[in-house]
Amino acid sequence: MRCLKLSEAVRKIRTFLLLVFVFLVIGLLVYSRLMAYSLAPTLKPADFSKYAWYEIPFHYLWDYFSHGWICLLFAFVAAGLVYEFMPKQIINKYMGSSKVTGYAIGAGLAPFFTVCSCTMVPLFTGILYTGAGIGPAITFLLMAPAANILTILITGEFISWEIAGVRIVVSLATAVLAGVIISKTPWGRTIEKEHQISQSPVIVHRTIEVVKPPLDERLISALKFGGYLAKQILPYFLVGLVIVGYVTAYTPPGIVEGYLTGITGVLIASVIGGPLYTPTLVEVVLGRSLLQLGMAKAALLTWLMGQPYDIPNMIAISRIVRWKVVLTYAIIAWASSIIFGLTYGLITGSL
Amino acid sequence: MKNVKAEVMGPEPPCWRCQAVKKTVEKVAEKLRAEGINVEIARANIASKEVVRKYGVLFSPALAINDAVKTTRRIPTEEEVEKLIRAAE
Repeated sequence: MRCLKLSEAVRKIRTFLLLVFVFLVIGLLVYSRLMAYSLAPTLKPADFSKYAWYEIPFHYLWDYFSHGWICLLFAFVAAGLVYEFMPKQIINKYMGSSKVTGYAIGAGLAPFFTVCSCTMVPLFTGILYTGAGIGPAITFLLMAPAANILTILITGEFISWEIAGVRIVVSLATAVLAGVIISKTPWGRTIEKEHQISQSPVIVHRTIEVVKPPLDERLISALKFGGYLAKQILPYFLVGLVIVGYVTAYTPPGIVEGYLTGITGVLIASVIGGPLYTPTLVEVVLGRSLLQLGMAKAALLTWLMGQPYDIPNMIAISRIVRWKVVLTYAIIAWASSIIFGLTYGLITGSL
Repeated sequence: MKNVKAEVMGPEPPCWRCQAVKKTVEKVAEKLRAEGINVEIARANIASKEVVRKYGVLFSPALAINDAVKTTRRIPTEEEVEKLIRAAE
């Protein structure tokens, strides 16, 4: 009996400490906001000229982490929490409903899911199998990399909230468009038919007797998931930063301004965006550097839109939908990155 | 001698967290073998039609024991898995 009480107390203390940690992280971000302390790095490309080649990575990394750590920490903690505490019943409830709700769910869910294929793949198939069909599934797939909480926060803090907002809106448009178009193509329909389950749409929960863990364990698992994401992403992010540091330091002035502005800039950005695969978040850092070196904002938007890929995810998905669908949505994504880049450039006068 | 079936569900190729679940189950199975409980471990592709029809889980990693899903979207601890396997009939 006493033993039981003790473990209760331990549990309460643990819950308390975890909550303190979470609020501390949120508080740090709010505090830095209130004090107008920049979370984005401060080095300008011109500053690099005073460093020797071997010094560049250290200065660049230090610049990023001394300013960006609060933001990165918050982003990973938030990603974990959002994923853990998002109400799942809602998804189950609306998953199999009509087409329109299907698209809304596909697009609306995306921000809650980060780049891990362990969260994306099951939901993708869930949407595909349980009635909403291939259109909403593709919408979800295209929306997630551009509009997940990690990418939004980092883009907003490191580049600008304007770009982050525009990126969400245009990704939404692209994702819905690609979903609708693919659901009309013969090969899209074939996949859909193949995967439709004939029995009543939502089969979820028939055999599930999931144990619901207490709050402290949920918090721990949220933080663990955040930590797992960090472990997956940060090594690439570090290597990416070193490379971006060199790119920033050694790109002759004028080159970026010459090629990555105007209509040509948008076209070039769209072409290098996709094939030049950059791991998650590195596209933001590289985009930021190119912007400082003189890339037009319109080209930056196109560049960011050209990065909707996460390789493990794509392998798993393309095994399900096969290459024709993958190719179709790659083309749609590419075309719309150009169209929206140009439109944004014309509207804001930043071509 | 008791036979228990444990299925670890995840995307194919497996993600890191799903592999962690499988490792946990393997460790527990090793331990329970000495007591005469035989745990048969299988990996299931969460995106395949059969698995969707049977379980319909939307979050991986998921762990099913004797055809019933017990945990989803997290890596259960060894003690938890042990308890679940012992409770399975």
